[in-house]
Amino acid sequence: MGFHTWGGRGHDSECRLTINPDGSVVVALGSQDLGTGTRTILAMVAGETFVLPVDAIKINIGQAPDYPPSGASGGSTTVGGVSSATRRAAQDALDQLFAKVAPALGAEAAQLEAVGGKVQVKGNPTKSLTWKQATAKLGVTAVNTTGKNPGAGKLIDSGVGGVQMADVTVDIETGIVKMNKFVAVQDCGLVINEKTAESQVFGAMIMGVCYSLMEERIMDEYLGRPLNSNMEFYKLAGIGDIGEFVVHMWKDPEQDGRGVIGLGEPPVISPAAAIGNAVANAIGARVPRVPFTPDRVLAALEKKGGLTS
Amino acid sequence: MKAFEYASPTTKEQAVSLLGNQWGETEILAGGTDLLSLMKEYLSTPKRVVNVKEIKEFQGIRYSPGAGLRLGALVTLEELMDHAAVKKEYPALAQAAEGVRSQQIRNSGTVGGDLCQRPRCWYFRNGFGYFPKGEGGEDLVINGENQYHAILGNSGPAYFVNPSSLAPALIALNAKIRLFGAQGWREVEAEQFFVTPKSEGEREYVLKPREILGEILVPPAKGIKSATYEVRQKEALDWPLAAASVALKINGTGVKEARLVLGHVAPVPWRCQEAETVLAGKSGEESIAEAAQVALKGAKPLSKNGYKVQLARVALKRAILQAAQGGA
Ligand SMILES: Cc1cc2nc3c(=O)[nH]c(=O)nc-3n(C[C@H](O)[C@H](O)[C@H](O)COP(=O)(O)OP(=O)(O)OC[C@H]3O[C@@H](n4cnc5c(N)ncnc54)[C@H](O)[C@@H]3O)c2cc1C
Ligand code: SF4
Repeated sequence: MGFHTWGGRGHDSECRLTINPDGSVVVALGSQDLGTGTRTILAMVAGETFVLPVDAIKINIGQAPDYPPSGASGGSTTVGGVSSATRRAAQDALDQLFAKVAPALGAEAAQLEAVGGKVQVKGNPTKSLTWKQATAKLGVTAVNTTGKNPGAGKLIDSGVGGVQMADVTVDIETGIVKMNKFVAVQDCGLVINEKTAESQVFGAMIMGVCYSLMEERIMDEYLGRPLNSNMEFYKLAGIGDIGEFVVHMWKDPEQDGRGVIGLGEPPVISPAAAIGNAVANAIGARVPRVPFTPDRVLAALEKKGGLTS
Repeated sequence: MKAFEYASPTTKEQAVSLLGNQWGETEILAGGTDLLSLMKEYLSTPKRVVNVKEIKEFQGIRYSPGAGLRLGALVTLEELMDHAAVKKEYPALAQAAEGVRSQQIRNSGTVGGDLCQRPRCWYFRNGFGYFPKGEGGEDLVINGENQYHAILGNSGPAYFVNPSSLAPALIALNAKIRLFGAQGWREVEAEQFFVTPKSEGEREYVLKPREILGEILVPPAKGIKSATYEVRQKEALDWPLAAASVALKINGTGVKEARLVLGHVAPVPWRCQEAETVLAGKSGEESIAEAAQVALKGAKPLSKNGYKVQLARVALKRAILQAAQGGA
């Protein structure tokens, strides 16, 4: 078993959000999507605010200086920064749209709500406009807002924790460690998208198995250069090496109430502890260094006096 | 990659006429899974690449109980491991082919290419040749990162290991390798095919620059049980740390005759003749442990590869058990 904690507070971020008279919605900010689903969660945050489907939101990111400054994708700080800035920009834009539309619905802006592609008087579907009818009231002037993190209200937090449990088989004649099962339980505040959140944990577990069991930079001391800097020599796990993975995202009202917290790095912290403890449990001796390669496992066994061939 | 001329002959005679007299001037291309890496790293910079894949004569698997097995050099590792007669009669060979990961490499990689693939020593692959030396003449392998290097046949100057997984199996099964050159065909025992180079200009096999590995003949395996066991740190994209291929002639409950070959432990596939005599005429597990002990008696590990002695012993023990229990 292994445990970890991490910060994960969102970085400084600025989001520019536009509602065009034709009904289109554009989110623009400078952070990048490393493949972690940043685009997806931005569309979800804006879509949820306007009660529009995610494909109604156009996401423009990663291109400075065309888009407003927003932190780099790193340090588990992205999701908190970009989601809160986008939420604030979207909320502000919606309020401005309501102000334009209120006279047409014979109501005050504060009395309006967005529901499933419509703007209506709260609780009164007979007094409503479709999203397009509503945005047409903007005339020729789009709504442009900027949302920032940090900003008003508590949308984000920091501090996550996780527990991981590894089940391994050690071949005591060869020192080879095989992963059987690897279970991770992770909290990270409000989960925006369960799939992308889980993917972060799965990815961390795969890389965790790699650095626990095989990954290592081999430097020649004399040459001062790495010898294994290609995919042939640099050992990484394949499908057959990782075993079965289970990820439990810890979701409950208390976590939801904390707001959004970054998740990229935390789950990659404890795999070696979990796997190392499992190996020690299996062979009754501790392998003192990662990766737990056959030579090191055999040496640990020999030191303990437990090796027979 | 350096620019090169490309030729794709359809007969073996044309192919030979396109090959140069010196190693390195021209290169033979089969599946390309090794040659292309060598060329991309500028470890091989041929003026001409001769693709042999269009030579029909070098393709195909033939088997008959009387004549045994004939493998064209162009047979892919995947064809080999999927072939019903190979699986049934020569499990050591099918298991060795199956060990080569991944699917893509088995689909492209050929039997001839597997036998002729160049050393995987990371000094060799980083451009330091067979006998890597520092500026002051220091031996880089002896003083450096030798965890995957040879534990047998390593009195120098070569310390790399032969990378072929098929070679130990073919030697255990007493195969012959047929080479085609300007003078026609010649035949060598699989065991004699591999040599330890003594100078940088040589290769790790007896093939000459103007010869092509054309086919492999494996005698009938009647009464022979064979197996290959590989010690692999991981399943994906990697070579074994040590491996053993064995062929046992079983007589009642005892072993009448054995051929035991270790792979990935020496600059050539390593035949364990003394251990073979330990096993012959015996039955029971003690003789297996003893044979494994004897096989590694002469091992001289380098500074970081002592663990491979144990791995080779285990590979041999498990291959013998696997052959005795299953096998054909
Ligand atoms: C990630 C990875 C893992 C691997 N793991 C293993 C493993 O565990 N065990 C193992 O045995 N192999 C392994 N291999 C090697 C693989 O099996 C070989 O690369 C493949 O078999 C070579 O066949 P090829 O047809 O692609 O050869 P090519 O790349 O075309 O040729 C390889 C060499 O052989 C020469 N050659 C090819 N055919 C002939 C011929 N008919 N006559 C004379 N010379 C010839 C070429 O000139 C070249 O020098 C691995 C390769 C990779 C990339
Ligand atoms: S193998 Fe590598 S390059 Fe190919 S798809 Fe997968 S991650 Fe991308």
